[in-house]
Amino acid sequence: MGFTLSAGEFLQLVNINPATIVFTLINTAIIVALYFFFLHKPVMKIMEERKNKINSEMQAAEDAQAEAEKVKEEYTAKLKESKEEAAQIVSAAVKRAGERENQIIAEAQQEAADLKKKAEESIELEKKKAINEIKDQISDIVIMASEKVCEKEISKSDNEALINSFIAEVGNE
Amino acid sequence: MLTETMLMAEFTVDGPLRSIPLPFLEGLLGEENACIAESVVSQWVVMLILGVVFFILGRNLKVKPETKRQAAAEWIVGFFSGYVEESMGPRYKRRYGPYIGALFCFIFLSCLMGLFGLRNPTADVSVTGSWAIVTFFLVLFTKIKTGGMKGYLHSFIDPMPFMIPFNIIGDFANPISQALRLFGNNLSGMVIGGLIYFALGSFAIALPAVLSLYFDLFTAVIQSYIFVTLTMSYVAMADMSED
Repeated sequence: MGFTLSAGEFLQLVNINPATIVFTLINTAIIVALYFFFLHKPVMKIMEERKNKINSEMQAAEDAQAEAEKVKEEYTAKLKESKEEAAQIVSAAVKRAGERENQIIAEAQQEAADLKKKAEESIELEKKKAINEIKDQISDIVIMASEKVCEKEISKSDNEALINSFIAEVGNE
Repeated sequence: MLTETMLMAEFTVDGPLRSIPLPFLEGLLGEENACIAESVVSQWVVMLILGVVFFILGRNLKVKPETKRQAAAEWIVGFFSGYVEESMGPRYKRRYGPYIGALFCFIFLSCLMGLFGLRNPTADVSVTGSWAIVTFFLVLFTKIKTGGMKGYLHSFIDPMPFMIPFNIIGDFANPISQALRLFGNNLSGMVIGGLIYFALGSFAIALPAVLSLYFDLFTAVIQSYIFVTLTMSYVAMADMSED
């Protein structure tokens, strides 16, 4: 037919053709089906899959975060615990050391006191010994002196008794 | 008169396609209508192109998009679904997304058929009328579905009983105006294109291309957009559910 715009065909432009309407409806249905099955459905499916994947990954990330949070808390608690324990150990050690210190000091003092006492005792002993010796020597000297002075023979035992009593008097004074 | 001189001058817009006669329908439709019109043949071309494009776009999609092809496919589907949701509400997104997307693509490419030397299907009132018939039935369906038969019948005496004729006219006027708007725009584009070629004669260089860019491409985008928007708003207005 070509498209010649004569008066008759001008009217034909606004002609309503039932066959064309039917064909167009069929064609439109086919186009909608093509759009739906070739484009809409696959895209929707892939978007749904993506959404699910993102959701599950986000869930996994959240879980991992929670897990990490939990572990961190655990470690913090453990760290705190061990710090406390360490502090306890140190304080116990310090206390023990203090006790030991006191003990050592007490022992040392005790020892020093013992030593002092022993020394005093031995000094006393030495003193006594020395006094005795001196007494002996004095008695000898006195005897000799008396012998010289008296020029008199006195038995040694009498003399000694005499002198000893003298010394005892002297010593008691 | 301008029309008479124009008509007498016998300018032509020749396309390569001829309508295919269907003799067995002559008794039913009359000699003139018993044929596959050129606009239907053009539609088949459009369907072929769209089928291939949809198939290529929607093929082999990945959860993690790698190709621009997939980005385009997702953009197209997302655009139409989003547009339906925006115009009609989320309840209609699933059901009307594919229809609106397909209709837009169909009208858009149909409008461009003139650029390839084929008869523009949207310049045939029977074609745009078919889509208006679809709209009419979608509106009817939506009214009955959301309001029930009682609500549908009641909508005719709303707000006053004397409004019955106007309400009935309104039900038909919307789709008819929708069909005629698309038809008129594309027919005028086609006629103007033919007139320009006719007037320029053998000097038809460059200027027809620029004008055809407006009358075909611009019209294609705007008119397909308007047509689907009107379809959606008529259906959304027909929704009688209370929310």
